[in-house]
Amino acid sequence: MPLLICLTSLVSVRIAAAQAEDVAVVVNERNPVSKMSRAELRRIFAGEERSWSAGLPIKVFVRASGTQERGALLKLLGMTEQEYKQYWTGQVFRGEAQAEPFTLPSNGMQREALVAYPGAVALVRLQDVKAGMKVLRLEGRMPGEAGYPIN
Amino acid sequence: MRHIPWTATVLLLLSSLCYPQDTTSTDPETIRQLVQQVKDLQERVKLLESQQNHAEASKPDSTNPPVPPVESADQTAPVPAVGQEPREVHGIQWRGFGEADYKALNQRAPELGTYGFVPGSQANFYTGDFGLFLTSRLTAKTSVLSEIVFEEADAQSYKVDLRRMLLKYDYNDHLKMSFGRYQTDVGYYNWAFRSAAWLQTTADRPLVMEFATNGGLLPTQAIGVSVTGAIPSGTLGLNYVAEYGSSDTIRPDLNGDGFVTDENNGNQTNVGVFARPDWLRGLQFGSSYYHDQISDNVLNGVSGTPVPPPPGSPGPAARYDQTIVNAYAVYLAHGIEFLNEGFLIRHALIGSSLHFDTPAFYSQISKQFGHIRPFFRYQYVNASPNNFIYKDVGLRYGPSFGARYDFNDYIAFKAQLDHTVRRDEPDLNGLQLQLAFTF
Repeated sequence: MPLLICLTSLVSVRIAAAQAEDVAVVVNERNPVSKMSRAELRRIFAGEERSWSAGLPIKVFVRASGTQERGALLKLLGMTEQEYKQYWTGQVFRGEAQAEPFTLPSNGMQREALVAYPGAVALVRLQDVKAGMKVLRLEGRMPGEAGYPIN
Repeated sequence: MRHIPWTATVLLLLSSLCYPQDTTSTDPETIRQLVQQVKDLQERVKLLESQQNHAEASKPDSTNPPVPPVESADQTAPVPAVGQEPREVHGIQWRGFGEADYKALNQRAPELGTYGFVPGSQANFYTGDFGLFLTSRLTAKTSVLSEIVFEEADAQSYKVDLRRMLLKYDYNDHLKMSFGRYQTDVGYYNWAFRSAAWLQTTADRPLVMEFATNGGLLPTQAIGVSVTGAIPSGTLGLNYVAEYGSSDTIRPDLNGDGFVTDENNGNQTNVGVFARPDWLRGLQFGSSYYHDQISDNVLNGVSGTPVPPPPGSPGPAARYDQTIVNAYAVYLAHGIEFLNEGFLIRHALIGSSLHFDTPAFYSQISKQFGHIRPFFRYQYVNASPNNFIYKDVGLRYGPSFGARYDFNDYIAFKAQLDHTVRRDEPDLNGLQLQLAFTF
């Protein structure tokens, strides 16, 4: 019996740890969007979709290299850091984007950007979600739920 | 839990307010003021709590528990007003691209000297395009894009080419318009790499996608309007492109005879669709159809004087319908670059049944290994020997292989070997070295 309790506790701790590593998709709290698919998210962060359904221009904010959010972004896009930079250089030169997405060095700055820009979208670690950020459902799941696709 | 910090704050304030009572007189007026302050603070706490509850209640999906509680400490942080987008400075953003090249051929047989490569020489250094790329955002949906290219010409002279100058208006993802001088979206390569060698894996462009001013076969530039956007198509990810403009291509002969062909193109129309399906990330495939009318007006490349047409040629007054059908499939993911593009260029003499078809394709594959990306390309162009417009092109095919080494995010070195089989000419072997950079 004690062994079973230990195992259960261990599993619970592992699940909790995995949920804590989930990366939330957050937008300005006034954005009417509340859910999206993984493919839509990829298109937005690849600059292929540049406006929300209401016509509001999308403003993408990303975290600096080396952060968990950056890792999740590269995983989402299927790129290495080098490929990501080359990709955006190409996007700008093709005229597909005006500039590479804003890279912000801190969660605080990212939060302020999300609050300030109505069309803002960013990836934020679950434990760093703050007031002013609206968390979107991804593939029907909220971060922390089993099967959430980004971590 | 969120009540605790506020309660603690109130208690802390109370204690700090009460502390002086031990050291000062307890006159009724002081007590009354303190009581009033406590009441004010209690009211303020209630107000803040009700605001917080209201904000949480108005959030959709608030029944989902996993999102952690908001830290109360952050509520005191200065936050810009919601809905008021900060005013951005709409300055000009610069980007630059450049290259320094070395090219060697195994013979002095006449061959076009693109950029600063000297025809008839076996090897020399030269520079390709040096491009200054400018963008400026005017409004949330309007911007200006400009690409000014300095290109090496004969005797190390440089000519300036306003390769792109566009006023862009993005209404939404389904309607994006550009007005001005654009690079035609005939095929994938022209769209993907524009004129920056730094973006390309290889040292040069495939012949069929080479710029017309360097002997390429396609009309790569035009002035007019270009419209593009997404087509609602679910997971297929369809997009369209439609262009209407005027181009006036002057194409130097590839065989190094020193002549140029002034095509005097009429207005051109180009329409295309392409798909980026969600079910295979990195895959893009599409097709386009281009049409304009051209002449075969051959001029001396130096003096600009007309060259007498060869016997049997319809001459410079004749007009041809030029149609270019393109199809491509590319895959870019997991460090793999796999480009496949085919063309069928038809020149039909107007008022006659005479027409010539020129098929062309290239296939290129590369894979990134750390800083190095080895590549292989095979290209093929087959112009009829009776087609006076492409008489200099003839049949050309062969492989290229080499590698690109990225020193960092800004500088890359490329080494490339080419073997080209030519109709009625000896095979041509070449070595190209290129230092490409962006800044």
